Amino acid sequence: MTDTPARIPGERAALIWGVLATILVVVASIGVFLVAPGDADQGIVQRIFYFHVAIAIVSLVAFAVACVAGILFLRTRRERWDDVGEAAIRIGLLFSVLVVITGSIWAKASWGTWWVWSDPRLVTYLIVVLIYAAYFVLRSSAEDDRRMRYSAIYSIAGFASVPLSFYSVRVAESFVHPVVFTRGGANMPGSMLVWFVVSQAAILALFIALLEVELVGRRSERALRQLVLRLENP
Amino acid sequence: MRGRQLAALVRKDLRLELRTRETIVAMVLFAIVMLVILEFGLGTRDGDLTRFAGGLMWVTLAFTAVLGVGRSYVAEREQRVLDGLLVAPVPRVVLLGAKAIAILIYMAAVEVVVIPLVGIFFVKGPYWDSIGWIAITALLADVCIALAGTLFSGLALFTRARDLILPVLFLPALVPVVIAGAGATHAVAGGPHDMSEWRGYCLFLAAYAILFALVSVATYDAVFDD
Amino acid sequence: MSGGAQYVVAAYAVIWFLVLAYVVVLAARSARIGRRLEAITRLLDRQEQRADPPDAPGDAP
Repeated sequence: MTDTPARIPGERAALIWGVLATILVVVASIGVFLVAPGDADQGIVQRIFYFHVAIAIVSLVAFAVACVAGILFLRTRRERWDDVGEAAIRIGLLFSVLVVITGSIWAKASWGTWWVWSDPRLVTYLIVVLIYAAYFVLRSSAEDDRRMRYSAIYSIAGFASVPLSFYSVRVAESFVHPVVFTRGGANMPGSMLVWFVVSQAAILALFIALLEVELVGRRSERALRQLVLRLENP
Repeated sequence: MRGRQLAALVRKDLRLELRTRETIVAMVLFAIVMLVILEFGLGTRDGDLTRFAGGLMWVTLAFTAVLGVGRSYVAEREQRVLDGLLVAPVPRVVLLGAKAIAILIYMAAVEVVVIPLVGIFFVKGPYWDSIGWIAITALLADVCIALAGTLFSGLALFTRARDLILPVLFLPALVPVVIAGAGATHAVAGGPHDMSEWRGYCLFLAAYAILFALVSVATYDAVFDD
Repeated sequence: MSGGAQYVVAAYAVIWFLVLAYVVVLAARSARIGRRLEAITRLLDRQEQRADPPDAPGDAP
């Protein structure tokens, strides 16, 4: 019996990504607030854009990760993929809630109302939050093997609903309100684009770091459970 | 072979339903009550709900769908039919298809009542000329509802509090169907007659159905895997 | 504040508040695991003291 326990796999990855995410977030914040040029139309309000859009994109990445993990779970039936799927959806849900809140604040700042049903992205993210919140309701009401299987299936079906929601909201908008709001983006000057890319990298690193920490936690929890089982039935 | 299995399973569901008539009658009644409640809930001063007719129709149909889909596995569960079906050498895809067809038929039966009623209750203006287009929209939407509904009710079937789980899973996924169904209905009913808009929504419904068919076929084996 | 700066502050405050809250949840979980491990260790110590042979159950890695 050795005194120093072996490292839990993923511990080092969590540490590295955590440090990287911290550095990138600091650099991105400095860039966004102190270096990036102000927007001619929107002024300072435009600075919400950098993290808002980066978080929105990463939340979709998280749901894609969960979908892939769901497929891999159904193929291999290894608990590890269930862990990855749940952790990814948990973080993705947190991020989409952030998108909805910051989007609403942005709507108030630029259009004067907290909620605009005619902005397809905001509405889509609200639907996405509802879809993935249901994932946890489903999880909490099934057990063990079923819980993992149902979660995997739902993470695949949920990911299929995301583009459908986005597209349906957009189609409805294009018929009802021909004016499409543009929030910078397509024709961003290069100096803004650089800081957008840095913010994007920062949020992506934050996602990976949180995911690794979640996975390490889950692995320790499982190890603990097995230890307890072993103590109870020697 | 598979075709015969499919037909037999669908016949089983329909015969059960015809004998008891509990699901379809309840669904139709629910839909009518829903329309009446919506009328009073919205209660415009000039009494003209033409602008909302498509929305009212599809809100009603969406909630009725949740009701019907929730009932669709009850017989299998309560009378332990499912155990027999799962042991029988029938591919799971056939089970999926049979259940989806049964839901499709239930929904169509409800729509035969609801679509004319919406015209009578809410629409002032041309409606009956375009009822064929509305029926096509409804059929497409039914395919979407049936496919997504079968998958989600399969998931909800063995969970605790399944009556609560199903709407929570199913309704968010139905939002696109409601948007497209209401949009297509508004495009052809009660005044404007915009066929390109209608086509756009119907193409969207077809895409939804195809995507959910793929997801269902790919994952349905895992739903009943124990 | 001028030109909507308060909204920018609010947006970033919400972002960092929720992310930090999430980190706190993660930390709470790891603290819970640590507490339970300590409890198990104490339990094993007591068992070892009571029974002389030191190879109490749970000695496995």
